[in-house]
Amino acid sequence: MAIFLQLLFTGLGIGAIYALVALGFVLLIRAASVVNFGQGQFSMVGAYLLVVCFNVLGLPYLLSMLIAVILMAGFGVLFAGATYWPLRHRGGLPVIISTIGASIFLENIVLVLYGPSPEVLPGLFDSPGIQVGPVFMDSQYLSILVSATLLVILQYVIFEKTLLGKKLQATSQDKEMASLLGIPVAMMILITFAYSAALGGLAGMLVAPVLFVSVGMGGLIALKAFAANIIGGYGSIPGAILGGLALGVAETMGASYISVPYKDAFAFFMLLMFLMVRPQGLFGEKISEKA
Amino acid sequence: MLITRRTTILGTALAAATPLRFARGAEETIKIGGIVPVTGPAAEAGRFMQNGAAMALEAINAKGGVLGKKMEWVTEDDATTNPGAVLGFSRLVSRGDCVAYTGSIRSTQVQAIAPDVLKAAKPVMFGGTNTGLTAAGNPWLFRCRPNDSYSGRVIADFGAKTLAKKKWAIVHSTDAFGSGGMQSLVENLEKMGIKPVLVQGYTNQQTDFTPVVLAVKSAEPDVIGSYFTFENDLGIFARQLRQLGVQAPWVGSPSIINTTALNLAGRSLFGTYGIADYTPDSSPEAGTYAADYTKRYKAAPDNQSTWIYDGLMILARAMNDAKSTEPQAVRKAIIAIKGFKGTEGTYNFDEKGDGLRGYNVVKNEAGKIVFDKHIEFND
Repeated sequence: MAIFLQLLFTGLGIGAIYALVALGFVLLIRAASVVNFGQGQFSMVGAYLLVVCFNVLGLPYLLSMLIAVILMAGFGVLFAGATYWPLRHRGGLPVIISTIGASIFLENIVLVLYGPSPEVLPGLFDSPGIQVGPVFMDSQYLSILVSATLLVILQYVIFEKTLLGKKLQATSQDKEMASLLGIPVAMMILITFAYSAALGGLAGMLVAPVLFVSVGMGGLIALKAFAANIIGGYGSIPGAILGGLALGVAETMGASYISVPYKDAFAFFMLLMFLMVRPQGLFGEKISEKA
Repeated sequence: MLITRRTTILGTALAAATPLRFARGAEETIKIGGIVPVTGPAAEAGRFMQNGAAMALEAINAKGGVLGKKMEWVTEDDATTNPGAVLGFSRLVSRGDCVAYTGSIRSTQVQAIAPDVLKAAKPVMFGGTNTGLTAAGNPWLFRCRPNDSYSGRVIADFGAKTLAKKKWAIVHSTDAFGSGGMQSLVENLEKMGIKPVLVQGYTNQQTDFTPVVLAVKSAEPDVIGSYFTFENDLGIFARQLRQLGVQAPWVGSPSIINTTALNLAGRSLFGTYGIADYTPDSSPEAGTYAADYTKRYKAAPDNQSTWIYDGLMILARAMNDAKSTEPQAVRKAIIAIKGFKGTEGTYNFDEKGDGLRGYNVVKNEAGKIVFDKHIEFND
């Protein structure tokens, strides 16, 4: 039982990171019908920005995070300008390819600018963690879980309770109708890119003390986050969160109780099962409903 | 032709580039082709490797080079992947002007290029330690580090005899390096009548090691032996191991004491033992190299740079001994090398292509790597 609880805690911690990145995926799918394969690299860039602010410039940790998140939002707009805007009338595929290209570009530009040496970032708290009964709770995993919960609540409030949120939702549901109602669709899409980049960057900053900051860290997370997105339901917000958590728990449990070397296989086996048995995912809409 | 700003820039660029090309072509060099991880998870290690190679070339060329010409090392990125290594190596071979090559420190990539090495039929110096690489009968592979049959023997010997521990848990990467090392360690422990209580593999580039750590914890070992390929994995494992309260002594393969791992894992590795093919205190040659490297690059060297340094030095020596760059003659000259004092140890090549047969045992004392002893085998 002790082992089970320990695995559950770690699985949820890792799952929360998948969920945050998956959330970034979902927002862009809904707002701009774009699958952004640079989402993982947003996390990597975010983590490096934190390294620059905290390790290099020596600013306080929370201020560094705040600055990095703001910079990431701006970076999201730039990213949209480069990958999405010029190709927005050409359908989904060219944009997807251009985000793949941008992701490769980002990894290599960071490699050139910052070098290949992995960086170490301390956690939000000095203490390594707390022992609760048989479970050791790593302080960074706790920070991740708390931050993810707060972000989900914040996102709910923005989308459901504010006018901006309603406009964003309207844009994601039907761009033509939204623009007829006087909603600045282009602006809404740019805001979504900015939010999605900030979210991805924050996920990277939160996971950095656990995984270290390296150029390849984004790819590692993004693939699982994308799988989480399919499992939860393509384009579904609660689906992305639950899918991410489920994936994190499933691979940790699978690794421990069945086989460690097949850990990654569990995540993708789960993805395959969903694609075969329930392709719309946990919360996905049936395609016919969207017509 | 219309002269526009673009054609002017293009023309200037071409004009600027041309004399450079001629200047390069004017001096003929002896070219050694090398694959290097410039990108991918081992890019950091790749930089150490390039530093080591640069130092070797400078030393070689300062002493008159090879057969009266300067030695040059031309490289291709292997992206730290097996397909990348194969592609990079084939690019080097298709240049047609390389007389020998350098491979990777990662066994899995050496294994990947081995069939092409056989076809290229020129000497390849490499640093991967999987025993099978030289045992498979490929006459062109020459190893500049001791192989894993020795690393397994030294880990087993040190843990079971010096530390007197009998309950072993072994954690290893499932790639060619990790599995080979694990097999060697298990065999050597079995020779001493010890059966490990846990043998746990993991795949490279993990986000979390809790399942592995919990497996180790429930096995209640009194010593841990490990073969980690990447420092990121080692760092995450080490931290989670200590967090979840496992304090058993730990004897690791060389990655446990390399500079990147020490930086990433910090305190979690204090008190661990590592076996090291390279350590500055093991010989005067190793000491001089360390001082020189630190002076140039403001960092401590590790085995990522020493094997390539030795490899290039050995190639230069063999070509000068053979008075030729003809592959068979160079091969014979390498095998004839006896008692060559390199940074990694004293090289005595055998027919299979293994140059070294010993390891150093070192201890991590609060982040400082302290030389304990050298264990050399004669068979």
